[in-house]
Amino acid sequence: MKPGASSPAPRVGAAVAVRTEGLGMVYPTGVRALSEVSLEVREGEFLAVLGLSGSGKSTLLRCINRLIDPTEGKVWVFGEDMTAAEGRHLRRLRRQVAMIFQQFNLVRRHSVLANVLSGSLGRSRVVPSLFMRFGLAERRQAVACLTRVGLADRGASRADALSGGQQQRVGIARALMQRPRVILADEPVASLDPALRHSVMRHIEALNREEGLTVICSLHDIDLVTRYASRLVALREGRLVWEGLPGDFDAATFRDIYGEEAEPAVGSGL
Amino acid sequence: MASGLHGPDQERSRRDRALGLVEAVAVDATLLGILLVMIEFLVLAFSGRRGPAGMLLSAEQILGLLHYGWAAVAGIAIGLLWYIFPGAVGSSPGRALVVGLEERERDLPWSRTAYGWFAAVFIELTFFTGWLITELDLVTFLTQFAKAADIVRGLAHPSTGVLEQGLVLLVQTVFLAFMATAFAIPVAFVLAFPSARNLTRRSFLARLTYAVSRTVMNFVRAVEPLVWALIFISWVGIGPFAGVLALWVHSVAALTKLYSEQIESIDCGPMDAITATGAGTLQVLRYGVVPQVIPPFLSFTIYRWDINVRMSTIIGFVGGGGIGYILKPRVDLGEWGEVGTLVLLIAATVWLMDMISAKIRERIV
Repeated sequence: MKPGASSPAPRVGAAVAVRTEGLGMVYPTGVRALSEVSLEVREGEFLAVLGLSGSGKSTLLRCINRLIDPTEGKVWVFGEDMTAAEGRHLRRLRRQVAMIFQQFNLVRRHSVLANVLSGSLGRSRVVPSLFMRFGLAERRQAVACLTRVGLADRGASRADALSGGQQQRVGIARALMQRPRVILADEPVASLDPALRHSVMRHIEALNREEGLTVICSLHDIDLVTRYASRLVALREGRLVWEGLPGDFDAATFRDIYGEEAEPAVGSGL
Repeated sequence: MASGLHGPDQERSRRDRALGLVEAVAVDATLLGILLVMIEFLVLAFSGRRGPAGMLLSAEQILGLLHYGWAAVAGIAIGLLWYIFPGAVGSSPGRALVVGLEERERDLPWSRTAYGWFAAVFIELTFFTGWLITELDLVTFLTQFAKAADIVRGLAHPSTGVLEQGLVLLVQTVFLAFMATAFAIPVAFVLAFPSARNLTRRSFLARLTYAVSRTVMNFVRAVEPLVWALIFISWVGIGPFAGVLALWVHSVAALTKLYSEQIESIDCGPMDAITATGAGTLQVLRYGVVPQVIPPFLSFTIYRWDINVRMSTIIGFVGGGGIGYILKPRVDLGEWGEVGTLVLLIAATVWLMDMISAKIRERIV
């Protein structure tokens, strides 16, 4: 049985959620991580970003929400120039773009609920938030987010007491708490046990299918890519080398992206 | 076309090479200069030359006679020559350190390379010169113990006369250290963030605060608490308050350094995650940094209190309150029995603090 096969197809809207133009990144060490990446992601799409490790997937995602500043090119999120924004304006734009990380990046010593609540920091008043005071509405929403990822009873546990899969679900709840319109997921299941990958991916898929959130997700597991994504792009040495639909992806494309040496994993359907 | 592409790279490598030359020659010149000065020192020391009073020259006098300027000039000259003509004798230590070795010299044992011999001679001479400059005298050390025996005998027979006063002042010492530490915590906590490299990369202003804060803290830390005590004694008068202030200043600098180094070693993942929610700087620090550093901060702070108890004894010597205050006159008068009592009291306290702080820190980390 294909898990979650019954969920509806993503509703792709006409609006452009994320657009990049000529995006390039050279790190201060002189290493070039991205060059000339121009992309258009429409609202409601589930875009998978493929490529070997070191191909620039992570850099691309982090340039979109400006966790790193691209050295060339521009990024627009819902028509607003992300690359030109600074200070308060940048933070307001960031609120629309939530991020899910490979290493979960939870505050390990805080409770699960506090971690979810931290997703609302962008819209909270600063001083109360420094004392970890959140409004009732915020706390209700946090519980709702936790319930949604099936962790309603773990709110009081310390974040590092949870298993990897559970921690990533807290990460998803935190992203949801942010009330974003776009979700960036940077290898969300790469550090999880293979058996748990689908459970986490299904939660991300649900945000895409049910809430209509745009998802940009870097993945290297071909099986997951063809199963969840509505569109694929591939990076190689920081350049966009392929773009297509899950159905277009075949063994030849695979070799193009991953190089002649690579072989598809058993059971990937190629 | 091709040359156009390689232009910037070539220029960079040329600049790198020029920089490498300057660095290598600077290293060589320094080492050679020091070597020449040491040789001159040894020659003078063993020449049997006598000073104006007819005595053999003392180490201090010889140090005053050396030709430092000539050594520097000769060092630079030889360093340059060695850099330009490495072929005859092999790579200089500066070249080996900065630029890297030539292929043919790479796998040789030290005894077959010029820089290896240079290092060996250099270390040897440093040792001999050091021996003479510090006037080490093994014979005196091994034969004149009797003079110190009085003190040791006194320390071993503590007298009870000073016990009560000692205990009272011991309490003062512990509290003095406690107050200094307690007041240092909030100041160091605030200063630690602008002193952490990883939090101050983004803007020029941030890098400037980093540089200023680090420099000031290094300076404050370099000044001994004893000197701070003298400053504060003339400011607020003799007594424990001056001691608190002296230890406080020093603790702020020391804790800032420890705290900021801890901040530099955090996992930046949670910081990224909080930044991505659109949180402001203070919120990022509160959620992304603070939870990670609280346990080590506590551990450092307790350790600092421990150090302050030990330091406050010395502070008391110059009038900063605490048990050191009554220890000093007894040392001067040679009342070794009473000194013995006080030393034992201090040792017991330090031992106790050490044990408690180790236990608490074990629990936290």
